[in-house]
Amino acid sequence: MGRMRFLCDVDRCIDCGGCVVACKEGHQIPVGVNRRRVITINEGKPGEKSISVACMHCSDAPCIAVCPVDALYQREDGIVLVNKDVCIGCGYCFFACPFGAPQFPKGNSFGARGVMDKCTFCAGGPAENFSDKEKRLYGQNRIAEGKAPLCASMCATKALLAGDADKIANIYRERGFKRGSGANAWGWDKAYNKK
Amino acid sequence: MRRILFVTLIMFLLLMAAVYSAENDTVQPIFSSSKYNSIENYKIITEHFTGEWQKYGEPFTILQKEYVRKIYFWILIAIPGIFVLHYLVIGPKKFPHEGNKYLVFTVFNRAVHWLTAISFLTLTVSGLIMIFGKYFGGGGLVRTFRYIHFPSAVIFVPLGLVMLLMWLREMIIAPGDITWFFKFGGYLSKKTENIMPVGKFNPGQKSWFWLGTLGGFVMAYTGYYMYSFAASTDNLRIYAIIHNFLGMAMLIMFLVHLYMSLFAIKGSLKSMLTGYKYEDEIRIMHCRFYSKLSGKDCSK
Repeated sequence: MGRMRFLCDVDRCIDCGGCVVACKEGHQIPVGVNRRRVITINEGKPGEKSISVACMHCSDAPCIAVCPVDALYQREDGIVLVNKDVCIGCGYCFFACPFGAPQFPKGNSFGARGVMDKCTFCAGGPAENFSDKEKRLYGQNRIAEGKAPLCASMCATKALLAGDADKIANIYRERGFKRGSGANAWGWDKAYNKK
Repeated sequence: MRRILFVTLIMFLLLMAAVYSAENDTVQPIFSSSKYNSIENYKIITEHFTGEWQKYGEPFTILQKEYVRKIYFWILIAIPGIFVLHYLVIGPKKFPHEGNKYLVFTVFNRAVHWLTAISFLTLTVSGLIMIFGKYFGGGGLVRTFRYIHFPSAVIFVPLGLVMLLMWLREMIIAPGDITWFFKFGGYLSKKTENIMPVGKFNPGQKSWFWLGTLGGFVMAYTGYYMYSFAASTDNLRIYAIIHNFLGMAMLIMFLVHLYMSLFAIKGSLKSMLTGYKYEDEIRIMHCRFYSKLSGKDCSK
């Protein structure tokens, strides 16, 4: 079985925020929770770059390692999911995650956090596929429908790639090869086809 | 010849000027991305979202994964095991509960002690249930104990402060307290005569007091941030490590306190309920305190 991965092509991402909006809208995520976000460096300066970040679905994920109740688990295809019936909202996965992926909606008594919410790679959760419960707790299950995740599907510049790790790595490699890299990527020779 | 030399000199100067200006050129050419190639970009970006994960995130993950639950498990097995051994080999200390009695703990003392005790017990139990959450199946049950953990701490902190002020004077380290620890105050001996002279509280009680109050405030401080997320992620990681490892020390001392009061010294639970201690018990266990109370020499 292939291993699912996200890969964001920083030379293509234009910080439009489309992936963020698609994810929030498509999964009906409450205010204050962002499963995906866009980070921009050198904003307004030469060398400005953006990258779209969500759960990286790590192999040997630190969040799974620290969870005291084993609410997090990894599917065979590498997608890391959370069981919201088991999660106690302690926040340890947030402390362990390098990417700040786990999100905790507020709203319980004494301002206590609710259970953890994070990117599901649009693969739902442990509840039965296409059930009401799955939709309510985890959002759409597009993987079970045979579709790519919402964020990658709607990316206007096709900067955000999602799918089998080997396949998207090949796409990225080919892109890099065709457009060149480093000092060869841009310049007068590309514009005027000078040899 | 002179012409050629002149032209060469001019060209050399121009070259030097070009090199100089090139080296001092701070304006980035728009289309050159030599300074910002993809790998460099990923490096800069990675710093933005992972920070220095290896510094605190990785230690937190390893400690949490490999050690925390195991150490708590062994504390819960080993410490009571040692107590069972102590109880069987050395046995409890018994004192006649008759004759003169002295009021050692006022109503205020006892009220503060027991309210703090109840909130501390709630904190300990709910904390342990969270640590061993997976054996309770997680979900609603463990989540409820997590919700109980916070209000218990809210009750504990002011009471702990009152307790700190209430017993501060008696709990200050006295001469001989360090040497007390080398023999555990004589509690490892069957003979009650071997118990070393102490004031109102022995060094064991004192260390539990300081750990319970000052350590309790550290636990409350770190716990508050873990609860509210109102600190940077790196700080939250440090707080979680402190919270979990300080908790171990407090659990050990709490178990010792439970054993001494419930099993090792008969009648000590009753004295904390009624406030009275009998003469013999004070004379042997709190020699210096007895001298102060009665004006008699305690060694007799």
